[in-house]
Amino acid sequence: MIRKSALLGILNYCKYGMLHKLLVINNFPQTHFHTSTGHRKDPVSKDIVIYENFESIENKSKKTYLEMIKIFETRGTHRTGHVEFIYSALKNMKEFNVEKDLEVYKALIDVLPKGKFIPTNMFQAEFMHYPKQQQCAIDLLEQMEDNAVLPDKEVETMLLNIFGKRGYPLRKLWRIMYWMPKFKNLSPWPVPQPLPNDTLELAKLAVARIGSVDIQTQISVFQSKDIPEALEDTWIVSAQSPTQCRLLSEHDVSQPIYVEGRFRIWMKNVPITYFILRGDAKIAPRSVVDLDDVSNISVPFFSYGIPPKQDIVPVPSVHEQEDGVIFAVCVTGTSGRDSLLSWIRHLEKNGNPNLASIPVVFTLKSPEKDLANIETAVATEK
Amino acid sequence: MMNLILTKTLKCCKLKLNNIQKLELNISAPLNAFWERDEKGGYADNRKLPPRTQMIRDGFKELKHEIALWSQEMKEKFECDPILDYRAGETDIVWNFESPNALQQWVITSDSDHNEGHSKCDLVVNKYGKGLFTGFLNTDVPDDGRIKRAGYCNMRTLRARKSFKRDSYLEWAPYNLLVMKVRGDGRSYMLNITTKGRFDLTWNDTYHYVLYTRGGPYWQVSKIPFSKFFFTSKGRIQDRQYAIPLNRVTHFGISVGDKIKGGFSLEIDYIGLEYNPNHTEEFAYEMYQTEKFIVAT
Repeated sequence: MIRKSALLGILNYCKYGMLHKLLVINNFPQTHFHTSTGHRKDPVSKDIVIYENFESIENKSKKTYLEMIKIFETRGTHRTGHVEFIYSALKNMKEFNVEKDLEVYKALIDVLPKGKFIPTNMFQAEFMHYPKQQQCAIDLLEQMEDNAVLPDKEVETMLLNIFGKRGYPLRKLWRIMYWMPKFKNLSPWPVPQPLPNDTLELAKLAVARIGSVDIQTQISVFQSKDIPEALEDTWIVSAQSPTQCRLLSEHDVSQPIYVEGRFRIWMKNVPITYFILRGDAKIAPRSVVDLDDVSNISVPFFSYGIPPKQDIVPVPSVHEQEDGVIFAVCVTGTSGRDSLLSWIRHLEKNGNPNLASIPVVFTLKSPEKDLANIETAVATEK
Repeated sequence: MMNLILTKTLKCCKLKLNNIQKLELNISAPLNAFWERDEKGGYADNRKLPPRTQMIRDGFKELKHEIALWSQEMKEKFECDPILDYRAGETDIVWNFESPNALQQWVITSDSDHNEGHSKCDLVVNKYGKGLFTGFLNTDVPDDGRIKRAGYCNMRTLRARKSFKRDSYLEWAPYNLLVMKVRGDGRSYMLNITTKGRFDLTWNDTYHYVLYTRGGPYWQVSKIPFSKFFFTSKGRIQDRQYAIPLNRVTHFGISVGDKIKGGFSLEIDYIGLEYNPNHTEEFAYEMYQTEKFIVAT
């Protein structure tokens, strides 16, 4: 009875996440000690809590993170609770901003003892010798994979020394080493790694990426204050190719063109807002001819004449699409209506005198918002 | 949802407090390693069925379409006029969004459908007659202690079929390129070609490749060789890789789940196929000889 009430007390206490530690300390019989996540911990708090936890550290940096690992390593010869420690460390990587650091992952793997987990016979090898520890290492490797951290030869050597060549973490590592390099540089539009923090640099990259559709695209950076009556003082990154200049000069001045936006392009995890200068579509609808209709076949030998004009058209450039002709693309510092007006004025000055006489219509969706960028992206990520 | 979690928690606490001797109560997920019971892996369609009379009425309505489909099939069979020449550089369009019932071909899913996340998505036809797959990818993990990661949106075609709802396969064998005219937003999307088989082991066979998008106002035409598609099952790349069996394709899908929280949009003009005689690669992934019992364990 007394024992039961004591246990009840402990179970109440375990709400604060200390059940497993206390059980070990008090040396209760562990025959019913089950390790599935269902009841060992309170289902509401999933954290594995240790005494010197990562959460309580104030100055969160790589240095303190590595120090924590060092403190753990030197705390005792047995390194009790190293699996729990690694899980807790993995969970707190984002706060310390080390989730993309290979050195940190290596330090964590190094916490595991060398030699002890290597199976010595085929039964041990087959039935996942030290399963908790192996699963912990697999989870660590998976977190590396999720954060696009490519392991190196040293990681393999460390894992070989810990789990032996038949360890499951090794299999995971070999899979990573086979697949990750294959996809690492696959993107046809690569972005610098890490991305620049400066908004202007990001905008230049984004505009260059959009402009990569035409090899002649010229990217220019304007300042809106260079236009005398501008209200905003910001930068404008604009892209226009000579072909687009020609298309704009050929545009009928009585027809309006549109400044459209806000559109979004993702540079890795940063959304950049861009705007386009668009005219109505130029491509004439193709006349539908039923090729199977044999009732009226024209014989060129008898009825030779100059072919109708719509049959001969110059090859449309990449900027002439079904849904419109794109004359220019821009990203501005504020994404405000006034900065876009300055952009049009700058374009007029730089090789598009036609713009002075073409009516320009601003069809913008919610132009008051700020350019969604690094700060907001980071904030939303959190 | 919150209520459900709370009641579950309370139940757990009760169990704990009342019978301490029953600590071996196991509520972790069952491991069905030997065979699978459910084709959907437990993700059942929880929508309520209409009343029986309505179902009978709908069934008779379907009969009309099925007979029409069947007679079309029979006609084709007796005409016996298959395509013999798949000309190089000619794209045969499989899906576009011009016809009014084009959207009925597609099933849109996201992790919020089964309370496993908060992503939302939709597939619509815009005013230019193009498909627009758009939504918000949310990587927030729900607080149920079961889900480890979240954030996917997916569009997938219905299973290829013959008349009277008989399963069949898409006729993709003569082609070797997948051609897509899309306009993306700079994100990378995943192309999923499912080759679902008869047995439970092959129910989740899927071949994947990445669709990178430029972003911006310009359309892009992506031509992806089928040899590049790699073999997975339930989202895990398999150790033993095989080239995609193009005579066994059952579904095609596009998904987004690149771990970046935010809105996405992918405009699709068409999805087509092409035969390029110059592309001779059969499978892009080399295999290595390893020690025994390492691969696929």
